[in-house]
Amino acid sequence: MGIVRENRVEVKSMLTAVSSKPSRSARVHPFTTLDNAMSRHTLHVIVYYPRSPFGSFDLDSVRISLSELLSMYPPVVGRVAKTPDGILEVKRNDAGLRTLKAKVCVGIDEWLRSADGHDESDLTAWEDMPEDPSTWAPFRLQINEFEGGGVAIGLSCPHRQADATTLTVLLKSWTEAQRRRCIVHPPSFSPLPSILTDDTDAVKPNSAPISKPISTKTATATFRFSSSAFKKYIEEEGIFPKASPFDVFAALFWTRVALVKRKSHDRVCLCVDFRRLLPNPLPYGFFGNALNFSSLEMTNVADQGIGHVARLINDHVTNLTVEKIRSDLNRVGEQGLVYGGDLTIVNMEHMIVEGDPMMYDAVFEDGVRPVHVSYRIGNVGGEGVIMVMPSPEKGFGRVVSVTLPEEEMSKLLVDQEILRFEPKIILSGVK
Amino acid sequence: MPQAPMPELTSSVKLKYVKLGYQYLVNHFLSFLLIPIMAIGAVELLRMGPEEILNVWNSLEFDLVQVLCTSFFVIFISTVYFMSKPRTIYLVDYSCYKPPVTCRVPFATFMEHSRLILKDKPKSVEFQMRILERSGLGEETCLPPAIHYIPPTPTMDAARSEAQLVIFTAMDDLFKKTGLKPKDVDILIVNCSLFSPTPSLSAMVINKYKLRSNIKSVNLSGMGCSAGLISVDLARDLLQVHPNSNAIIVSTEIITPNYYQGNERAMLLPNCLFRMGAAAILMSNRRSDRWRAKYKLSHLVRTHRGADDKSFYCVYEQEDKEGHVGINLSKDLMAIAGEALKANITTIGPLVLPASEQLLFLLSLIGRKIFNPKLKPYIPDFKLAFEHFCIHAGGRAVIDELQKNLQLSGEHVEASRMTLHRFGNTSSSSLWYELSYIESKGRMRRGDRVWQIAFGSGFKCNSAVWKCNRTIKTPKDGPWSDCIDRYPVFIPEVVKL
Repeated sequence: MGIVRENRVEVKSMLTAVSSKPSRSARVHPFTTLDNAMSRHTLHVIVYYPRSPFGSFDLDSVRISLSELLSMYPPVVGRVAKTPDGILEVKRNDAGLRTLKAKVCVGIDEWLRSADGHDESDLTAWEDMPEDPSTWAPFRLQINEFEGGGVAIGLSCPHRQADATTLTVLLKSWTEAQRRRCIVHPPSFSPLPSILTDDTDAVKPNSAPISKPISTKTATATFRFSSSAFKKYIEEEGIFPKASPFDVFAALFWTRVALVKRKSHDRVCLCVDFRRLLPNPLPYGFFGNALNFSSLEMTNVADQGIGHVARLINDHVTNLTVEKIRSDLNRVGEQGLVYGGDLTIVNMEHMIVEGDPMMYDAVFEDGVRPVHVSYRIGNVGGEGVIMVMPSPEKGFGRVVSVTLPEEEMSKLLVDQEILRFEPKIILSGVK
Repeated sequence: MPQAPMPELTSSVKLKYVKLGYQYLVNHFLSFLLIPIMAIGAVELLRMGPEEILNVWNSLEFDLVQVLCTSFFVIFISTVYFMSKPRTIYLVDYSCYKPPVTCRVPFATFMEHSRLILKDKPKSVEFQMRILERSGLGEETCLPPAIHYIPPTPTMDAARSEAQLVIFTAMDDLFKKTGLKPKDVDILIVNCSLFSPTPSLSAMVINKYKLRSNIKSVNLSGMGCSAGLISVDLARDLLQVHPNSNAIIVSTEIITPNYYQGNERAMLLPNCLFRMGAAAILMSNRRSDRWRAKYKLSHLVRTHRGADDKSFYCVYEQEDKEGHVGINLSKDLMAIAGEALKANITTIGPLVLPASEQLLFLLSLIGRKIFNPKLKPYIPDFKLAFEHFCIHAGGRAVIDELQKNLQLSGEHVEASRMTLHRFGNTSSSSLWYELSYIESKGRMRRGDRVWQIAFGSGFKCNSAVWKCNRTIKTPKDGPWSDCIDRYPVFIPEVVKL
């Protein structure tokens, strides 16, 4: 389009944050098949606060609580190593979390109004894994200070090593350590339960399947829907009463994106966290990937009513049994890229615990709640990703982040069905 | 067969008792002489009876003038004696700086930063790794915040912040422990070898704590790792001249500006060993402090070998080929340290060794000079003179060398080795961390004598001898409070990195 993107984020310094106590253990953390299937993707979480808890940075108490927290997370401060057979694993060598400090030349409100997905990636630090990963830091933290106050804390990692829930729990535990509260979800490094891993083969050496390279430029936008908009839609459209906000918003975006793509786009990939879906639920602190990717099909979805699609999605999610999860685990990654190989819809309903969205409870100072939390997946496939995330206001509202090829996104932004809900659109790159 | 070890055992036991008997005899020689004399005198007096004693007394014909003169003479001699006796110098208390956990440097982080910064010099990286593996340091030593950056940011501001952080934290703790008010400080001595800004660090302390305008402040720089004991010596001399005063000594080394940024191997060594640390010490000559003081200063001996060229050049600060300033350590450092120690021991030996050892040494000296020059020189057993040893934790080699030369056991050098493991080489303050270790282990009893030995560039060897004034209870806070239960640890010869 000819608009040269100016870089508004300037990285000032880089250091390594260490854990407060040596790990004293030679334990290594191997990767599961699910982990290896995610190896093409990277994961980034960005939390925006209106007021920064950082001061001088070197002597802040926030740094001390970070070090104490890192003692509980040896894989975060460890390094990836190759065994003699070429298999990757994480060694607990205490090398540390790479931490960068950056300054943004605009204010936080201006940023949320005018930045897009590419700008947001400047808020996180990333480097692809080199051939010799011994000095390569897998986990990276970037502290971005906005002009006039406000901060964005960006945490990145290879998707092979953690999923969104793991990173969210880590950030929340950091705030709990800072406020001297008890850590609600301490990390758990036990392997996946055997009920899920019984028929899988031994871990295959990493061989990423070939898939089509992403050639189209993608754009991102985030739609904030209020609780009242959801209730209004339920009443007007007469959606079945048991529909959850995820069902409704996922259905809405599936049908509208299908329309924009102008194919009778019948298949989506649904991503659901299975920690709490197992008969012996995994704790929220389970460290690693615990995601179920399953396919959902519907013919001529663009012409279907939202209620109908929502019911289909609801049935699909409610019927996720252990057997289904296990068979999906065996097939994950067969088509190449996990996210975006088909249009992927990510469910984050599990992050709402007793009505409170976990990521918005990550509070460093009392009364300073995050104004927004973004999740970004790196190397997303050409079909795009729709993420339905909890809203900062408790209730039925949701924040939906959409990544699509540029052309399709520009059509989606003016779609009347979506605009009927009166969403607040942020981080869409509107200048 | 069982008969063979028995004679060895009995002979070694016999030798031990012979040695013990000899030591008791020589050390308490005067008592051994006096007791029979007193016994004989008492028996004589008892035999003589009261009338005879009175007769003897009268026959001496004392008159008033004689008695008065004698009394005045005695009083005069006693007054001269008490006036010319040096004042007792007390160490009231001291405080060591404990760095925050964010400054910790695990081996993996150190090596990773080294590889990232020196990416074109793999040989230098290898060298640093070999040094670190054999250094005797642990995973909890700390470097100042500026050195954690990639690349390090050793600005003058960063150096000043490090100085403020370590010095003010240690001094706040000292003021709290001793209840001293800043305006009551009479003498202030700050020693920091490699960072000497204007205004000086002592002026910085005076500014922060609003000390008195007639304070006697001294800032010592450039004097190396033995500057701590040089400060103690200076404080002692000043306290002799100024009655009823106290002195605060701050010993530290500021790492930030001196982190070597080049890749000359001999100059990379200090990067691997020097770590962040500081100590603040309160000394006093006030009589009122004699109840609460921890130690009394018995002796302080300074030996300077600078007149010898080899000693002078062995620790030398210079620029490398690319213009980076660093400290070059010569390969004969250990030999020179050994020589300096011998010179120091020759002076301190007669002051501290019991008579038994001095006699043996004298006899062996006479033997070597007159009879047979090839006789092995007798090394006096310093374990008889001291209960505790604090050897400057300059590096594993220094501690090994001194342990061998002074024939010390593992427990004697434990404080030094464990301080090197937990805190690294903190330069002039390391002696105070070691002393704190001994106290934290509950080993310091009243009457125990401590020998602090420090080496420094120049080449200097300084020793201080302290006598414990009161049994010290295990401190509840202090640099060792959270980890003393884990110590002593076994430090392997080579740590696999």
